[in-house]
Amino acid sequence: MTFKEIQELIKQLSKSNLSEFKLKDGEFELSVRTKHYNKQNAKSQIITPQAVMPAAPVAPPPAAAPASAPAEKAASAPAPEAAEEGAGNYLEVKSPMVGTFYRSSSPDKPPYVKVGDTIEKGGPVCIIEAMKLFNEIESEVSGKIVKVMVEDAQPVEYDQVLFLVDPS
Amino acid sequence: MLQKLNTLFIGKVLLEFPKLPSTNAYAIDLLSKSRPIEGTVISTANQTDGRGQIGSKWNSLPGENLTCSVILYPGFLLVRQQFMLNIITSLAALEVIQHYLPNCNCHVKWPNDLYVDNQKTGGILIQNSLQGQHIQSTVIGLGINILQKSFPEDIPNATSMILQAPDESFSVENVLTLFCEKLEKRYLQLKGGKQSHLKDSYLNHLLGLEEDRQFQKPDGNRFPGRITGITEDGRLIIISEGKKLYFNLKEVIFL
Repeated sequence: MTFKEIQELIKQLSKSNLSEFKLKDGEFELSVRTKHYNKQNAKSQIITPQAVMPAAPVAPPPAAAPASAPAEKAASAPAPEAAEEGAGNYLEVKSPMVGTFYRSSSPDKPPYVKVGDTIEKGGPVCIIEAMKLFNEIESEVSGKIVKVMVEDAQPVEYDQVLFLVDPS
Repeated sequence: MLQKLNTLFIGKVLLEFPKLPSTNAYAIDLLSKSRPIEGTVISTANQTDGRGQIGSKWNSLPGENLTCSVILYPGFLLVRQQFMLNIITSLAALEVIQHYLPNCNCHVKWPNDLYVDNQKTGGILIQNSLQGQHIQSTVIGLGINILQKSFPEDIPNATSMILQAPDESFSVENVLTLFCEKLEKRYLQLKGGKQSHLKDSYLNHLLGLEEDRQFQKPDGNRFPGRITGITEDGRLIIISEGKKLYFNLKEVIFL
């Protein structure tokens, strides 16, 4: 896809009622989220409907979320099932890459986090290793760890959920 | 201070310690409390708890070898392109070794062991910090054996620069100075978008490239093959009996 085609696509998408658009063609991947996606998100959080409405309806539609950062907003999407059960809105910490998941920085060290721990945005939660490059993953959310979704030293995929976090 | 250093930023701030458990660990601790200037180098004459891969140790005797870490902020790089950090570090380190040992064959054994005439003389450990799709910081750790003449028996394949060229006189400080310069050059090339040039240079120095060799899978099965390249995320490509195979670390052993 050329840059121009992507521009045109985003233009069309922002005119539509779509909240999210994903395209995959071989190695090429594109993911776009529009203003409607944020509305959806906002609805499931505790915000009054009025606040969701744009303050100035004449303003041009905001640019669609950048395609390269699908994980950022996804992390703030609450797990829908949990919400229905009324068990609270859990946030997800997802893997930004393919690799091997480690809960501690080395085998003789305690895990970064365990169930019940309170984490801050920017705090380290795990290591993901790929090709001898070690990545300390910092949380994009704050809250209490409810569940660790992956066993230590197991392979993880891109966007796989690693932790469930209770933000309340 | 590195007296003869000719760089813009790498090594301009040098934190030297007579003794440290690990220069990488020190750098990461520093990053957790502050934002050191880009290119800050931490080095020690005596690293007591250096690491290779998780669980494996790198042995070094006081003052004999280079053990250092460099702090960089490659915010321009995508998470899936992070193998480029390994490529620029391997290239910079190889160029340093080659400069001092012009008569030796210097290679990088995939993904990042430094080899001189088929013996290991150094290693690299890169540790990034990620938030979402953003590389917040990277710590590039490098160890090069320079003056060490004897090695523990359990690492029979180790060598040092002095073992390769016994009549030369090497200084750890000079090796570090040259590494800072070479790394900065390669880092700026990466920042300038020269990915494919860097990858080609890495392949040119890759041990076993385009050679018929025997490989082994973790289950013990052996197979003949030929390394033909690497993928963007750093996986090794081996052609075996007409089939193209892709390998992660620990999925294949060189024989």
